[in-house]
Amino acid sequence: MKNILTISKWEVSRVRARFSGRSRFIILAILLLGLVSAYLIYHQGLAICKGLYTIGVSADAPVITDKCFNTIGTDPATGQMLLREKTIDLYVNGNKILFREDINSQYAVGALQKYLERQELLRIANQYEMNRAFPLRIEVRYLEGPETNKGMAPRITEPEETPTPLPNIPEQPSRPGTSPPVTPSASDAVVEQQLNELLKSNRLPEFKAEFVSENEIIIPSLMTPPIPLAQVIIAFLYIIPLFFVSVFFTSSFTEEKINRKLIVLLSTPVSRLEIILGKMLPYLVYSIVVIVGITLALKGNVLLGLAIFIPVMLFIFSIYLIVALTYRTFKYQTFFSVLALSTITLYLVVPAMFAGVNELSYISPLTLAVEMYRGVSFGIGHYFLATAPLYIVFLQVMFIGTRVFNEQYLMGFKPLHAKVAEALYLVIDKKHLNVSVLLLGLFIVPVVFVTELVSIVFASNIPLTSALLLLIVISAIIEEIAKSLGILVLLQNNAVKRQRNVAILAALAAVGFLIGEKLLLFFALGILSESVFMSAVFGSGLLIIPLTLHVVSTVVVGAVTMRLGTRFYLPAVLVGSAIHVIYNLNVIKAFL
Amino acid sequence: MNEYFILLKRELRSILKEKTIVFAIIIQFFIASFSSIILVGVMAFYDPSSIGETSRVTFNVGVVSDTNNRLRSYLREGRIRVRSFPDLPAAEEAFRAGQVDTVIVIPESQSGVVDMKLFLPTMDVKKTIILLKLNGPLKKYENYLRETNGIRLNYQETKGKSNTTYEFLYSVIIPILMLFPALIAGSIVIDTVSEEFENKTFDTLVSAPVSLGQIFASKLSAAVATVVVQVIMWSALLRLNGLPIQRTALVIPFAVVIATIVCFVAAIISLYFKDRERSQFVYSIVLVMGVGGSYFLDASPFSLITRLAAGVPNVGALEVALYLLPLVLIGLAFFRVSKRLVLAHY
Repeated sequence: MKNILTISKWEVSRVRARFSGRSRFIILAILLLGLVSAYLIYHQGLAICKGLYTIGVSADAPVITDKCFNTIGTDPATGQMLLREKTIDLYVNGNKILFREDINSQYAVGALQKYLERQELLRIANQYEMNRAFPLRIEVRYLEGPETNKGMAPRITEPEETPTPLPNIPEQPSRPGTSPPVTPSASDAVVEQQLNELLKSNRLPEFKAEFVSENEIIIPSLMTPPIPLAQVIIAFLYIIPLFFVSVFFTSSFTEEKINRKLIVLLSTPVSRLEIILGKMLPYLVYSIVVIVGITLALKGNVLLGLAIFIPVMLFIFSIYLIVALTYRTFKYQTFFSVLALSTITLYLVVPAMFAGVNELSYISPLTLAVEMYRGVSFGIGHYFLATAPLYIVFLQVMFIGTRVFNEQYLMGFKPLHAKVAEALYLVIDKKHLNVSVLLLGLFIVPVVFVTELVSIVFASNIPLTSALLLLIVISAIIEEIAKSLGILVLLQNNAVKRQRNVAILAALAAVGFLIGEKLLLFFALGILSESVFMSAVFGSGLLIIPLTLHVVSTVVVGAVTMRLGTRFYLPAVLVGSAIHVIYNLNVIKAFL
Repeated sequence: MNEYFILLKRELRSILKEKTIVFAIIIQFFIASFSSIILVGVMAFYDPSSIGETSRVTFNVGVVSDTNNRLRSYLREGRIRVRSFPDLPAAEEAFRAGQVDTVIVIPESQSGVVDMKLFLPTMDVKKTIILLKLNGPLKKYENYLRETNGIRLNYQETKGKSNTTYEFLYSVIIPILMLFPALIAGSIVIDTVSEEFENKTFDTLVSAPVSLGQIFASKLSAAVATVVVQVIMWSALLRLNGLPIQRTALVIPFAVVIATIVCFVAAIISLYFKDRERSQFVYSIVLVMGVGGSYFLDASPFSLITRLAAGVPNVGALEVALYLLPLVLIGLAFFRVSKRLVLAHY
């Protein structure tokens, strides 16, 4: 602990020296300017489609203030001419919209209608009494569905007067003109409140609690679907500063790697873990300060904010540590940083967009943050689901980091795949090969999971049927590579020599992989849904057969690689994958 | 001039060797394909009708009402199956038996306000879809009730096309694809310049028979070359995907102009700070600020690309040409200060 603090102290003084004098002033000035412009944008409202449509309006048409539209005021005759010449996308003549049949004009109509609908609602809200302008209110109740009904009493219990059935009596609406007696209804307040939200909605929206909650009253024309913008904003408020801090961390780490200061540290009686933690600590402290600051500024719960964002921070730092350990040039680092940033942001933001809509959104800790700011509570299971993967990644990376932290690895110039192979070889404990290979198979599962998710994203670019087939093939290849990587690096380094040992190791890697795969499913599905899935995952037939498959395919890959030499690793993987694909296709066929 | 090309070749080779451009393209491809997945989700939210179009979800609504309500026909028009029940317990029974997915209770209408009750299943996804699909018919019914109250919403009868996808593609995806290469090019400039400082290779370059101007010109042009390649590739790919950029002859030069400005800014920053740590930090802040600040311009780079790509008639070569002015200014400023900044090191 003392060593860690000493290294941290050095790191702080180094950063302080670098950001002293004029450069500190310049950076502060730039930061300040940035804050001011962010504030101004926030208050102006954001229109991404600025000036996208050009429209003509007649003198008696409503005033259009939306920034998406360039408005040209003309008389109807000129307006129609401009419309025909395609100078304008549409023409608003009084309360009529004139447009062309082509696609651009149609999109403009769509956009304008959305805008005008809002304006019209505000107009009638001002012009008429509340219960004439918004005559329909719908109260939402929940019913327990047929599948989850376990002898529970139905949830609607309040006495309901059974309406006497009066079939085929035509409806008798109150006649137009004769305004009904004004009886202030309880739901008027709701209408008022939703109208206010509508009025504000060209600014950035407020957080809305669940899409619809029990007993909420909805007014169809004022119903707003959940807007993912808030999630994106929270993400950026937290992630961008964390990203900046971690970029400092990597830059400093790489710099000391290049000028060999880290190597010098290695010869002192400080452990590798202490070096890494010591260099990381100041930046972790800065990040925690940032998290606390932002949570306070947003008026959130600080403890909860820390609980949610510390794992995110550790996750970001571990990714950046890997980048810093692996690469020696800045250009590579820049790219991997950008790649890491975009992937992490997407990983956090995309599931959170479905917060309150879909349970699966809990795989992102940002969902928890959204819930926190909405004032909705979440369970410990959800917290575990969202953050455990991040903690695990951090621990894994710290472990790998201390294993590969030596001069040869840090200073060596090698292509990426050779670096990965070297790291893997260093991670495997040569004295306990069997256990190491088994654990490697287990812990590589999250990497495989993420890689397969990414391949799904890429595959979304091609037609569905061919994408499905391609995905089956690709995931088989990814899994075969993942299971046999450990054996490959052992063979490359001549650490195993006998065919029998290779077969045993391959089988162990396959077992580890299967355990990891099932554990992942167990936790993910166990938290997310009822036990129906559990029996499916652990059903007797479904466990032995995949085990056999995984073992057979991995042993084949290992054996072929050993026979033909590591140069033939890829063909060997393809043979293993072919077995895997045939199996998968049969399983799918059985389900169809 | 000859030295310039030799240097340019050296820079380009280093970019190719480090496969930077390959990574850049992969990143952008990843972002673009992920965005299209997000888009499906976002569209479903903003535009409930798209759910009805894309997915063939049909469900059964149990309606409890005493009268032959107009809402029923609106529901049927929205391709929702309607079953009538005399009272709520009967409807609940059907719900539990899985015969209907949701129940609407319509009261007898005596006063102006109709207070309906909607019973939804607890399942998250299902209730969202049901609610979004019911919204259309319910809105129609609300308008019908309004009209009986003598109130009319204007502009309801013409039906345009849903603009969500269109706006998203032209005002988010295309500008990102056209401007992201510039961001990366600026980073490349910073990395090559600060690498020269940290490896102390500027000393050798300064003593070589090439001018500083040539050194920087080669570095900057190598970075801009990556932009040209990417921008042309994206516009070709987008066209292949049926998403044409309308005025390619203006969009591509404009993206290159912006990239050059960004590269000059990056070069000045890295020459001033000389180490990567501070340069990249300041560069990213300046960039974020630049993007934010440009929002106040009427024709910001982002919105100009949007408008040009969508073929908006009132913008054109003049707006693009306006951006040559800052380019020239910052270029002149750069070549004026570069020598002083490099020598400040020694």
